[in-house]
Amino acid sequence: MFRPTAMAVATALAFNVPLAARAQSSSDLEDVRRQIQDLKDAYESRINSLEKRLKNAEESARSAPTNASQPATEAPAAQAENLPQKQSTPNAFNPAISLILNGTYGNFKQDPTQYGITGFQPPGATSPGDRSFSLGESELFITANVDHMFMGALNLSLQGDAVSVEEAYFQTLSLGHGFTLKGGRFFSGIGYQNSVHAHAWDFVDPSLVQRAFLGDNYGDDGVQLSWVAPLPLYVEVGGELGRGRSLAGTAVDGELAGNDRNKNGVGAGTIFLHVGDDVGASNSYRVGLSHLRTSTGTNAFPLADFDSVTGVTNTFSNAQVKIYGADFVWKWAPEGNYQYQNFKFVAEWFQIHRDGDLTFDTTGPAITGAFDQRQAGWYVQGAYQFHPYWRVGLRYDQLQKGSIDAGINSANIAAPDYTPKRYSAMLDWNPSEFSRIRVQYNEDKSQQFLTDHQIFLQYIYSLGTHGAHKF
Amino acid sequence: MKTLLFRWLLPSILIYTFASPAMAALEIFACEPEWGALVNEMAGSRAKVFVATTAMQNPHLVQARPSLISHARLADLIIYSGAELEVGYLPVIVQQSGNDKIQVGKTGNLDASKYVPLIEVPTILDRSQGDVHPMGNPHIHYDPRNMIRVGAELRRRLTEIDPAGATEYEQRYQAFSQRMQEAITKWVQEAAPLKGVAVIENHKEISYLFNWLGMPVTGSLEPKPGVEPTAGHLAELVANQKMRPARMIVPASNRDPKPAQWLSQQIKIPVVAVPLTVGGSGGAKDLFSLYDDAIRTLLAGLKS
Repeated sequence: MFRPTAMAVATALAFNVPLAARAQSSSDLEDVRRQIQDLKDAYESRINSLEKRLKNAEESARSAPTNASQPATEAPAAQAENLPQKQSTPNAFNPAISLILNGTYGNFKQDPTQYGITGFQPPGATSPGDRSFSLGESELFITANVDHMFMGALNLSLQGDAVSVEEAYFQTLSLGHGFTLKGGRFFSGIGYQNSVHAHAWDFVDPSLVQRAFLGDNYGDDGVQLSWVAPLPLYVEVGGELGRGRSLAGTAVDGELAGNDRNKNGVGAGTIFLHVGDDVGASNSYRVGLSHLRTSTGTNAFPLADFDSVTGVTNTFSNAQVKIYGADFVWKWAPEGNYQYQNFKFVAEWFQIHRDGDLTFDTTGPAITGAFDQRQAGWYVQGAYQFHPYWRVGLRYDQLQKGSIDAGINSANIAAPDYTPKRYSAMLDWNPSEFSRIRVQYNEDKSQQFLTDHQIFLQYIYSLGTHGAHKF
Repeated sequence: MKTLLFRWLLPSILIYTFASPAMAALEIFACEPEWGALVNEMAGSRAKVFVATTAMQNPHLVQARPSLISHARLADLIIYSGAELEVGYLPVIVQQSGNDKIQVGKTGNLDASKYVPLIEVPTILDRSQGDVHPMGNPHIHYDPRNMIRVGAELRRRLTEIDPAGATEYEQRYQAFSQRMQEAITKWVQEAAPLKGVAVIENHKEISYLFNWLGMPVTGSLEPKPGVEPTAGHLAELVANQKMRPARMIVPASNRDPKPAQWLSQQIKIPVVAVPLTVGGSGGAKDLFSLYDDAIRTLLAGLKS
C-alpha cells in the first residue's frame, strides 16, 4: 500500500523536475499539469488494481482452510481436500536432532580421583565426578526413518574434550509379528537403568551396582532381537549377540582396545524378559529378568580389586563372566495424570559370577589356579513429584562382597570384609519438560574407612526435537 | 512359575496368535478418549477399542507404559490427535511394539490432525514461547465438524483394513455424519447467546470450541502454553480484565481448580469447568453428549 504510492510520487517528481525546467510558457505549464495529472491517474488506477488483487488474495487465503471464516454449521467433509500443502524444501528430510547440555558443580570430602569401591572392580569410569565446576556429558541425538523398512539413530557423547559414539544403530520397522531387530552399537536391554541415558536418570550418578558391574551404561557392537507377545499383558523377550567390546565386570577401562580378543564369532550375549501392565488408571509397573555372559578368551585381564589387598599384580584369564539381574519399576500418578503429582519407584538387583584362571603376583611367583567369585548388589530408589515443577528423591545402594574360591591361591587371595553402601537424596526443579536443575547429596561409603560426603549441583537442558522417553 | 507359564501364558499366546483372525474384531488403539468414541461410532462391534488415556490426564504428559506397548502390538490401527500432542510417548510405543501395521505412513497409522484445518499455527517457533506445537493447536477434538472430517478418513482406513465390513462402515459413517450435522445445527442455535462472550481459558485445549462458537479468549491462566499459572501472570489477568472484560473462566475439568478460583474471586466472574474430552464429566459419555454437556455448562455459566 505504502510502496506503490511512494513510488508514484517519486516517479512523478522525477518526471516533473526536468519538465518544469523546460516549461517557459503558460501553455507549456498547462501541458505539464496535464501530464502530471495523467501520470497520477495512471498510477492511481494501477494502485487500485494492485489493491484489488491484494484483497482478492487475502480473501482466498482466508476462505481456504481455517474454521474461523466458515459458517459454524457448514458441512465440512469436502474441506479436507483443501488442506494446505506443505512446501518441499531441500532439508525436509533432515533427521530429528536433539541436544542435551549438562554440567555440574561437585563438592567432595574425599579425593574423587582416588575413588574406588572396596572389593569391587568397576568396568567403566570409576570417578564419582570432579570437584568444583565441570562440564558434564553433552549428548547429541540424531534419528530418522531410513526408509519403509528401517530407522537409524546416532548418539554422540561429548565429555570433556572427547567425543565417543554411545549408540549408533539401525532398527527394523516392518518385521511385524512383534519382532524388532536392532544392529550396530547400542545400550543393552539388560536391567532397567542400563538403557536409560544419563540425562534421564533420576539422580546425578548411576547406582553403585550399575557402576560396579556394568559401568554407566553397558553397550556392545552387535545385534539385538526382541519380540513382544501378542497379549494384552506386556511380555517382551529379547536377546543380544555382540563382540564383547566392553567386557562387563572384568576390564579395567570398560573397553578393550579394538577387537582385543581378535576372535571370530560372538564375544558376549544377553537375554532378557520384561513383563508389565497397569493396575487401575493410577498405577503401572514393569518387572524384568536379565542375563549376560561373556568370556575373556585366553587374554589376561588385571584384577585390580585384589591388588590393593594383596599388594601385588594379579591377572585373570580363560574367564567366563555371567551377570544375572532382576529389576522392578513402578509408577503412580493420581488417575494417571502426571501433571501435578507422581511417584516413581525403581529397584534392581544384580549378581556377577566370575569363573576362570587367576594368576597371583604376575611379576613374582605367578601362581596360576582356578578362581571362582560371586558378588551381588542392589538399590532401591523413589522419586516423588509433589508439585508440577518439583521432585524429591531418595536412594539406597548396597553391594555384597559375596564368596571367593581361589583354589590353590586361597591362601594368597581374600576379599576385603566390607559392605559398600551409599545413601542419596536429591531435589530437582523442572520449569519445563526441557530443563532441570538438581541438587543432590550422597553419603558414600564405597570405600572402607573413607566415608565421603558428596554434594552435586547439576543442570540438564534439552534442545531441539522433543524426545520420547521409555517407561 | 511353571504353572503360570503352561496354564495361562502359553494358552493365551496361542489363542491370540491363531484365534484372533476368526474372531474378526479389529483391534483399535486410540490415544485419547474422543478417538475411542469416534471408533465406536464408526465401527460398532466390528472393533475392540483400547483407549490409552483418560479425560482426567494431561495428554502431553503420558508415560510410555508397558500396557501401551502390548496394546499397540495387537492393534490393526492406531488413531491419535497428532500435531505432536503425543510426541512424548507415541513414537517409542510404535517403535517398541514391533507391529508393522501401525508404523508411520501405513494405513493403520491415523494422524487425525492431517485431516482437519489446524488453528493457532505459531508464527514464532521458539521454546521460549512455551510448549508450542509447530503444526498448530493439536486439541482438534473440540470442534465437532472435525469429527466428521476424521470420521470420513477413519471409514476409508477401516474399509481398507477390513473390506468385509465396507458396507457397515459406509452406513455407519453416513448415519454418523448426518446425525452430527443435525446436532451441529442444533448446537449452533442453542449456543447463539454464547457468541461474542469473552472467556479466560486455562490451556489452549478448548480453543477449538471457542473458535467454533465464536467466543473470544481474552487470556490464559497459563502464562505460556504448558507453563503453570504464576502469581505475576494472574495479577496481569486481573489488570487486563478492566480493559478487556471476560464473562467467565473456562478451564478443563482435569486442571487444578485453584488458580481459576483465585482469579474468579478477584475479578468476580464465575469458573465454568468443561470436560476436557469424553469421560471428563458425568454427562460427557460419548461425542454427542460431550458437546451437549460443554454447551449446556457454558450457557448455565452465562446465567450465573
